[in-house]
Amino acid sequence: MKRKELIALLKKELADKLADVWERNPKRVYLSVEPEHSVEVNRYLFEHGGRLATASGVDCRDWIEVLYHYCFDPLNVTVTVRAKAYKPECVLDSVAQVFPGASFIEREMNDLLGVTFRNHPDPRRLILADDWPEGVYPLRRDYHHETHTNTGRAVSPDPGRARVLSALRRG
Amino acid sequence: MEKRCETLTYDQIPFLLARVCGICSASHPMACANALEDLCGIEAPPRAQYIRSIICELERLHSHMLWAGLAGHFIGYNTVFMWAWRYREPILDLCEKVTGNRNHYENFKLGGCRRDIPQDAIPEILEAANDLEKPLTMLFNAVQDDPVLALRTKGIGILTEENARAYCVAGPTARHSNVPIDVRRDEPYAAYGWVDWDVISMDTCDVFAQVAVRLLECFEAIKIIRQCLQKMEKTEPGVIDNEPRAIPEGEGIGHAEAPRGETFHYVRSDGTNYPLRYKVRAPTFVNLPSFKPQVVGGELADAMLTVAAMDPCYSCTERMAVVDRQRNIEGFLTMKDLLKLSHDKTARLMKLHNVRSPELQG
Repeated sequence: MKRKELIALLKKELADKLADVWERNPKRVYLSVEPEHSVEVNRYLFEHGGRLATASGVDCRDWIEVLYHYCFDPLNVTVTVRAKAYKPECVLDSVAQVFPGASFIEREMNDLLGVTFRNHPDPRRLILADDWPEGVYPLRRDYHHETHTNTGRAVSPDPGRARVLSALRRG
Repeated sequence: MEKRCETLTYDQIPFLLARVCGICSASHPMACANALEDLCGIEAPPRAQYIRSIICELERLHSHMLWAGLAGHFIGYNTVFMWAWRYREPILDLCEKVTGNRNHYENFKLGGCRRDIPQDAIPEILEAANDLEKPLTMLFNAVQDDPVLALRTKGIGILTEENARAYCVAGPTARHSNVPIDVRRDEPYAAYGWVDWDVISMDTCDVFAQVAVRLLECFEAIKIIRQCLQKMEKTEPGVIDNEPRAIPEGEGIGHAEAPRGETFHYVRSDGTNYPLRYKVRAPTFVNLPSFKPQVVGGELADAMLTVAAMDPCYSCTERMAVVDRQRNIEGFLTMKDLLKLSHDKTARLMKLHNVRSPELQG
């Protein structure tokens, strides 16, 4: 299978599920999907030889964009699935229920951006400290650690243990 | 680090990313350069591409040597540990010669490199690179022929091809499970598309395959360095930078093959000097979960070696792994206990087969 055939196949087989297909350059393809089709599209890509390199979350004010990056290594193309988790709930269906490779990154995104993945097999906290307060998401745009602002103003909400560490570093 | 990137300019970011890991301090800036160049649609000049490849391969060499030494230590062969680290030193000296630093090379930037390799230093570097082959061959033969080492590593910690694909592993951890993927070949960046080399992959899926893949990769690395130096000599000195005029709005994806596997970077720009979002995914983040199918049903004494075989790098995984890993195995087993279990097993096997630890001749 060639790169062009893959893209043609995706367009044909997933036609009713893709909101947009953007071929930014021959090596990078971006597929936009509605939240309810996210799992089906991800499953299709995984079952057709895609390797989930990782997923990125971007905070875009009214929603959080979740981008699943699939590498089709023999074809030299990276296909990215773009789904939106609308605020304030920020809920998407979990891809980790399809294959385990997506588990860690969804847990990480839940910690850092507050996206809830529905039906995740193991939704425990992954990288934040145990005493980190609930509902504080450090990678959101509205989160400002005082060391990032340079204004000297402490900005709510309380970042928990991170503040203690930074105070130590300054001292 | 991802949050910090949002407050740095595109020129400052590679410096920060070099500090993701002290060992893969070239791979992260390399992936960053790839991502930013994808965003801007530019390419670095050929000489810069050769320099990038040389630095990345030197990094791979010293990282694999470091790993071989540690694996030896975990098995209980401290001689292997000493020898591997001894021969890592000339590689680090070579890094210093090429970049000015043993580690943290700070040579990568958007559109090129920061420092050139002087033309008259090339023959000297070439000679030093050639000298690395002999000790590596010696180490490889010693590892290959040792009966206890074979008993400790063959058939242990199996990661089947199916599991490797399901857990989306990368790098040597994938290649030892018969998933022959390598970003250097699949999406050639830097100078990898212009030189002749092979992707090493094995199909036995055990710890021994991991050892073999990594050691054989060292020879490929030397091959790449040699060719890059020879080809670089013919390019014009000093032309190493291709400055972009402005950073456009949009997004970019870059990946690079680090010693431990693929590093993956995603950048989102709004057209200003600072990125809107910078995502870093280090290889251990995908490789570590595959530890689960590898150890279930195995011996506790092999657990340490199995996790060490995938070359986990905890800085890669943002300080989550140490606690998680140890608790996942057994709440009360510490690293010291596991190391002792592993050493005891080797001693038992050595006694049983009446062998001494491998003898190495310099």
